[in-house]
Amino acid sequence: MAEAQSHNKVPTTRPIRPDLFVERGSDGRPKLTGSRCRETGEYFWPVELMNPKTRKLGTLTGAEIDGAGRIVSYTVVARGLPGFASPYAMATIALDQGPTLIAQLEDWQDKALALGQRVELKIGVISTDKDGTQVMGPKFRPLAP
Amino acid sequence: MKDVYVIGAGMTDFKPQPDVPVHELAFRAAWDAISASAVPLEKIDIAYAGHAYQGPCFGQKTLMRMGATGIPIVNVENACASGASAVMGVIHAIKAGEAEIGLAIGAEKLTSPGGGFLPIVADDLDSAMGRVMPAAFAMQARLHMERYGTTKEQMAKVAVKNRRNAMRNPRCHMRKEVSAEEVLAAPMIADPLTRLSCCPVSDGAAAVVIASGEVARRYAAKPVRIAASVLVSGSRTPYGIVDDRSEMSIRASRKAYDIAGVGPGDVDVCELHDPFTIAELIHYEDLGFCKPGEAGRFIDTGQSAIGGSVAVSPSGGLLAKGHPLGATGVAQIAELFWQLRGEAGGYQVAGAKVGLAHTVGGGVSKLESGACGVHILVA
Repeated sequence: MAEAQSHNKVPTTRPIRPDLFVERGSDGRPKLTGSRCRETGEYFWPVELMNPKTRKLGTLTGAEIDGAGRIVSYTVVARGLPGFASPYAMATIALDQGPTLIAQLEDWQDKALALGQRVELKIGVISTDKDGTQVMGPKFRPLAP
Repeated sequence: MKDVYVIGAGMTDFKPQPDVPVHELAFRAAWDAISASAVPLEKIDIAYAGHAYQGPCFGQKTLMRMGATGIPIVNVENACASGASAVMGVIHAIKAGEAEIGLAIGAEKLTSPGGGFLPIVADDLDSAMGRVMPAAFAMQARLHMERYGTTKEQMAKVAVKNRRNAMRNPRCHMRKEVSAEEVLAAPMIADPLTRLSCCPVSDGAAAVVIASGEVARRYAAKPVRIAASVLVSGSRTPYGIVDDRSEMSIRASRKAYDIAGVGPGDVDVCELHDPFTIAELIHYEDLGFCKPGEAGRFIDTGQSAIGGSVAVSPSGGLLAKGHPLGATGVAQIAELFWQLRGEAGGYQVAGAKVGLAHTVGGGVSKLESGACGVHILVA
């Protein structure tokens, strides 16, 4: 039994952080998870301890944030640090619902990337730990113009 | 308010020195600064040591080598602005009347006998997502290129200029000229930044002795006045660190110009934060040497060369010297001190009267950066 397991080892996975995303949100698609302010309606990602704009405590609730957005800027990293499958594309993404984040792109290799290009959220492999565990997290797939 | 002056400076070579312990590097720079200032060791009232990764009580471990013990020693970490923060700490102590003479040291050892990468900070989300430093600046480059038409050739000219300046600086790591073609053809690191668009890995240390007005004049025939010492932390900008300008650098330098009573047009010599070619271009605009979007033209027309309207990175800058984090901010003050006294040797900026030092950095997810330090020195 043990021999078979090591021969056909399926990599274990872990989320890059436990509070950043869900694989299946309220509409069955991957979503980011962050905060929303009851007073201003603004979304924040990742979760905040308090609203950093209004500086009020107690006005934030947990919220799902849709991954639709656009590329603000991007680069292709030729050779990353150990554990990062290279080359990989890194982008700053502005989500339609407001927050911005820096994340890797998925399925970018055969596409012409452009500033302002629309993207959708995928949960994918961000890096691999030394013991082979795959680190999963939000990545963005460029959409055809 | 008391005036404060730099009265002595010291600096080690900036290059990989894997077999030299960091406290020895710092000791050498500190001892050279103190010797140059002619201040007896017992008269140093306070010391600040700026570094990012060198461990607890770095200042104490350095100064005990010269028998300096018992004085207040404060160790400061502010990522790339650690050195500038150390200088500011000494200035504040003197202005508050708590010290007459102080020592600011900055040092960093990035190499180790076995080699290795810079430690990733485990709790920074951007780093864990794959945002290495060159990637951040590469994204900034793309924005600047898209918005203003800045070209890869213009970015390459920064490396060409700074490496040429470095030929006359014996303390520099990279002392071989490069052509723009070589910069563009070098291995890609993060598009559009090639290996020659990025600063090399160096170890190094620098130190300056700072004193209040009357005391300064007792020791130095030509003390150099620190007309402004400004530190700011990063704002939560809309896009985190990626914008086509450095808001913190704009904010810190405006405050410094205000306090010093000079403007960008008065600056003769500038040592700024150029770990990547694009950074120097953007900082020309942030520091007011030219308008937003004009940085490409500024370097095209030779205005940032020695002999231009403001000599930027005459020492070779981070691009040629490398960036031992804690050392850089203090090294810039030392460079300006020598420039404003006419002691910069082969890379002297003729007639330099006003100098500006600028460092910025510290990756914090959601902030532009951790800290930006700007100092203005006047002959």
